[in-house]
Amino acid sequence: MNTTKWNFRRNVVFQLFVLPALIGYLIFYIYPLIQTAIYSFTNYSMYHPNMKWIGIDNYIRLFKDDTVIIGIKNTVIYALLMTLLQNALAIPLAIALNRPLKSRNGLRLVFFAPAVLSPLVVGFLWSYLMSSSDYGLINQGLRAIGLNNVNWLGNPKLALYSILLTQVWQWTGYAMIIYLANLQGISKDYYEAASIDGAKAWTVFSKITLPLLLPSISFNTVMAMIGGLKVFDVIFSMTGGGPGHSTETIVMTLINKGITESQFGYGSAFAVVFSFMIMIVAFVQLKVLNKWEAKLF
Amino acid sequence: MFTAILSACGGNEGNKAGDNTEPTSPSANDNTEKATVKIIGFNKEEVRKTYLELLRQQFPNYDIQYQFVDNKQFTNVVTTYLASGEGPDIIEGADARWIAAGYLEDLTSQPFVSKYYETGLKSSTINGKVYAIPLQSWFEGIWYNKDIFTQHNLTPPKSFDEWMDLHDKLRAVGVKPQAMGAKSWEPMDKQAMGVALNDFYSKPENKDFDEKFGKGEVTLSEAWLPAFTKWDETIAKKNLTPDMLGVEYDQALDEFATGKAAMWESGPWAYDTMIQKNPDLKLGMFPIPGTAEGSGWLVGGPGSAWALNKNAKNKDAALKVLDFTSTPEAQAALIKDSFGTSFLKGADNSELPEQYSDSKSAFDEGNVYAPWANWGMLSGADLILELGKQLQDHLAGGTSIEEVLKNTDKKAQEIRDSMK
Repeated sequence: MNTTKWNFRRNVVFQLFVLPALIGYLIFYIYPLIQTAIYSFTNYSMYHPNMKWIGIDNYIRLFKDDTVIIGIKNTVIYALLMTLLQNALAIPLAIALNRPLKSRNGLRLVFFAPAVLSPLVVGFLWSYLMSSSDYGLINQGLRAIGLNNVNWLGNPKLALYSILLTQVWQWTGYAMIIYLANLQGISKDYYEAASIDGAKAWTVFSKITLPLLLPSISFNTVMAMIGGLKVFDVIFSMTGGGPGHSTETIVMTLINKGITESQFGYGSAFAVVFSFMIMIVAFVQLKVLNKWEAKLF
Repeated sequence: MFTAILSACGGNEGNKAGDNTEPTSPSANDNTEKATVKIIGFNKEEVRKTYLELLRQQFPNYDIQYQFVDNKQFTNVVTTYLASGEGPDIIEGADARWIAAGYLEDLTSQPFVSKYYETGLKSSTINGKVYAIPLQSWFEGIWYNKDIFTQHNLTPPKSFDEWMDLHDKLRAVGVKPQAMGAKSWEPMDKQAMGVALNDFYSKPENKDFDEKFGKGEVTLSEAWLPAFTKWDETIAKKNLTPDMLGVEYDQALDEFATGKAAMWESGPWAYDTMIQKNPDLKLGMFPIPGTAEGSGWLVGGPGSAWALNKNAKNKDAALKVLDFTSTPEAQAALIKDSFGTSFLKGADNSELPEQYSDSKSAFDEGNVYAPWANWGMLSGADLILELGKQLQDHLAGGTSIEEVLKNTDKKAQEIRDSMK
């Protein structure tokens, strides 16, 4: 058997291993995606099981719907702040815990532990801690030091940011672990050379550490942004979208329209728009970060 | 419309009929295989404990499974089940949308349906077809701590102004007047509607308002505004405060049960939990008062019911369970764990327990009603949820009470349009 034939056969055999995953992907990802896109042009609902083609009506309605606008606004604020805060805290934390401290393993565990909890559990836990009733532990603490109660989850202007705090608490440790792994891969030679040159701490950070952390910055910010855009469970458990509609996010509105109100066609249109939103944000983010990486190196 | 729930269920006629309503369903002893009967409900299992035990005794060859889903997500969960052609055999409630979509079995011709009074069947009857059998009635009023009231020489109020004064008096002696878990949409909806029941629904000319509202012929903002404006005094007087928006139902229950607040709004299903938390608690319940002095109104009615999934896997077994539920024995078991009255002809409705004695005249006058149950296709959870969200926004200082009702009307129209 000649080499070309053998290589071809071997490639076919190797590609066959991909087939089960490919079939699964087509059935569970691509097919529902196409189906959702088709539904989005129909009036399909619980009352209209025999759907009718209505063109782009669902899309037009979407941008006139106040609750959809609130959902998009809240999600964008949440995702942006989540990405910024989580990473701004995780980097110094990782640098601190990369130092030869005696307690560093214990501290790493403490900071990472919240990430293994379910967001639902975290939500229920924090909603009790932040409660404005007499049982709210945080307000008990504030009262003990002579401060007033804060209506963490009951104030429409504050509730979204209170939820954000709990999520920063939960995920900063996760981002920190990724930065730590990256930091440990940076050669000590760079720092020794900088030390010999008499570089100051900020110069060492901005000229050595930060550029070499860029791959994990890209990964963490993209993940945080996508996670922030998809947020649902923690908000569901902490406020249920309230008070009023004040903490409703895109996914929550999507579930309300598509499932609770059984407007499957309308919900599908929202899902399509949302998918494009995530794709665009991820694409732009990666492009910007890649450019930044190229510039720094 | 306002037929008294108690009068519908009590009386001699019922007792006579009782002879004919002995358990008629055959037990499943003749079955060789154990069939699973799945029931899904928004009441916790302990609220159905005695009834479920009775079912398991009656049907030893059935595996009776009960699934509790919190009210917040109940409609979503059941809708998803039904839309996928799956789901439990027996479902609590008969959402008008499930009926419209053909997910629920038409029970009209089942012999057990005729054993119930029409008042109980009304909310689950659409176009003359019955889709669910009523369980015991539910009602909700204002629980109060009798010890606190006695200690400060206070009595349950007869009018809304008296109720507001009561809050002031309690505050003056350093007692928090009212606990409220306004994080849930329910309590404010019900308190505001309670005033509307006194001031609007009690007038004969408004007796068909809800049916008309369901069809879009009238609006809430025109009809309910005076009553809701009256209720709004409770916010102006800071009896309901924005910090309550950060409090859960269970936390408000705790606050009241441990004596940290003098009043709390809920129903009989909370009684056992409160007594477990504080066995020394002496409780009473008074109805929500209106502008004029009177007996007050309780929010409630035949809200809870068993419907049959059209795609039930064990329809025959489920029908036998529904048949057995339509016996005085099963009704008594339901009432044992959550007090209410039965709509079954011949059911021996027990005496009103002592804790509800302040509500007796409201019961006697038939002052128990839940408007949304008669909104036809709008009677699902969506609209009352929206009203609750609007009221939350109002309590937080976001919208006026007029806007609350206008926005709810807007949502009602959106739902009607989506059905066209």
